[in-house]
Amino acid sequence: MSPEAAHIESSCITEACTEEYSEKKREISSLNFKFPGELLFKISGRRKGLKGQLNRGGIFLFVFFLFMALFPSFLAPYAPNERFTPYKEPSWDHFLGTNDIGNDIFSELVYGSRISMTVGFAAALVSTLIGAILGICAGYFRGALDELLMGFTDVVLIIPKIPLIIVLGAYLQPSIWILIPVLGLLSWESTARVTRSKTLQLREAGYVKSARCMGFSSWHIMSTDIFPNLYNVLLPKFMLATASAMISEASLSFLGLSDISMKSWGTMLSFAFFRGGFIRDMWWWYTPPGICITLCIISIALIGFGLETQGKEHVREGADAM
Amino acid sequence: MSGIARKGTRYLTSLVLIIIINFTLPRLMPGDPVKNLIGEDVYVSENVMEELRAKLGLDRPLYEQFTSFLSDLLHLDLGYSYHLHAPVAELLLDRLGWTLLFVGVSAAIGAFMGSLLGALAGWRPEKKTSRFTGLAFVVLSCTPPYFLALLSLYLFSFRLGFFPSKGFYDAPEIGSILHHLFLPVCVMSVFSASRNFLVMRGSVIQEKEQLYALYARAKGLKDISILFRHIIKNASLPIITLLALDFGFLFSGALFIEIIFSLNGMGTLIYGAIIGKDYPLLQGAFLVIALTALIANMLADLLYGLIDPRVRRPA
Repeated sequence: MSPEAAHIESSCITEACTEEYSEKKREISSLNFKFPGELLFKISGRRKGLKGQLNRGGIFLFVFFLFMALFPSFLAPYAPNERFTPYKEPSWDHFLGTNDIGNDIFSELVYGSRISMTVGFAAALVSTLIGAILGICAGYFRGALDELLMGFTDVVLIIPKIPLIIVLGAYLQPSIWILIPVLGLLSWESTARVTRSKTLQLREAGYVKSARCMGFSSWHIMSTDIFPNLYNVLLPKFMLATASAMISEASLSFLGLSDISMKSWGTMLSFAFFRGGFIRDMWWWYTPPGICITLCIISIALIGFGLETQGKEHVREGADAM
Repeated sequence: MSGIARKGTRYLTSLVLIIIINFTLPRLMPGDPVKNLIGEDVYVSENVMEELRAKLGLDRPLYEQFTSFLSDLLHLDLGYSYHLHAPVAELLLDRLGWTLLFVGVSAAIGAFMGSLLGALAGWRPEKKTSRFTGLAFVVLSCTPPYFLALLSLYLFSFRLGFFPSKGFYDAPEIGSILHHLFLPVCVMSVFSASRNFLVMRGSVIQEKEQLYALYARAKGLKDISILFRHIIKNASLPIITLLALDFGFLFSGALFIEIIFSLNGMGTLIYGAIIGKDYPLLQGAFLVIALTALIANMLADLLYGLIDPRVRRPA
């Protein structure tokens, strides 16, 4: 069926239906996905508004946490390892009280953001790089290499990550320099898949074909023609990978598989739970790090989701243009 | 047919990879494997160490070690835990049942709840309730599961005293077990529902724009029946894939929730093993969890073929 015919037919259906169910007109036109009517635009516009608000909230929160991580000394009243009387309740001197060894909990919280976010971003960088390289190779060369790489991706996808990291973490001296590569090496599969499908699309584009005709090497085409166009796909994946790496980091440090000298939010929560914060009913000790982890991950994930929808719209526009 | 062969090869490769990881890890890691095995807190003389090394076959060439490792695996011998003085397989088998019960029940509830709410939210994404549930589940999916468990334990067990705070039962009766498991299962189901919700919502939003949904409306079907009789069948396919792929993830989430609620399952066992550096036990646990995840994936593939005729039919 040619697009015009489909268009005419669908608009006929829409008209026929609107005569009987005028109140349902909006839904019917939104059912009609390839040829959005005026009303669909309004709906998606409104949805975009809400998404936009959420996205703005996410960016605001994220900037706040980033500031906290970059300039902790602005916010924290004390150094994180300065010691006072242990188990103090919140007061003007100690905004969130003190912990079992007398550190100021609020300062610890502010400095903890640095560790948590470093691990998240560095692990996501590793995983995005690996995923992008494997995805581009699989998508560009296709054939046997594609089969092999995607088969490998499927195989890695099945292996449960957290138990493997637990075993590794138990063997190796726990530190963030181990945690970052391990988390990165075990979470690239979804990035590789998305990159591959986008590359499959891109390699058929005119400019790639002409570059190939002109005799540029595959490496050159992949790095200068294809890679820059993957930005729309890779950036949201990077943000979502950061969010999931931060959850994993928090979980692992809860099990005590983290560097005690570099306290992240997960480590704080773990200490609060296993060293008397929970028994003593010190909610000001164990809730703040948990809330911070959650808020920070939400802000990063919201930005990721926002970028993902933007990317999809971008792709749709591109498809329509062709 | 080729599809089945390809799937089979992939599962087989996964299995081999898992076994190889399990074999190489203790041999690759820094430190003496025998010392790692018996722990740092025990002093043994050099003679005993040599004896142990010979008994474990660590002085033989690598391929011989691998074959004996494989034959041990086939005999369900996962090694011996020197900390708990029991064979690893026995220890794990004791706990695995409880954890599987816990994960299975919560995954089922979570899948049902998540896909139902997700379908409703995807059907009318512009409604206030849909937006609210959407936001709530995004927040929940971003919360580390153990933090959620910690909060609910504090609120419902310590503050309000509705539920007991630890263990599977006081007396091994069904009522007591239900009472003890209620809170952990709730937290776990919400955790699993949050992942299913987001996928189902997206899937329904996509499916409802298809022409068959339009046709169903043209036939004069009511909204609810279009959603539940036609769309939900097609939209729930990604959920099955997700359930299988998520199984390992859910399992690890369950470990943390078990630790918080002091349930005597795999989670507490693994936690103890981490604290005590009980490597054989940790490795055995990894092997068992990886195998369960593998089986879950295979089951999902079979189920997929059963539900979706397009997979069975050659293209």
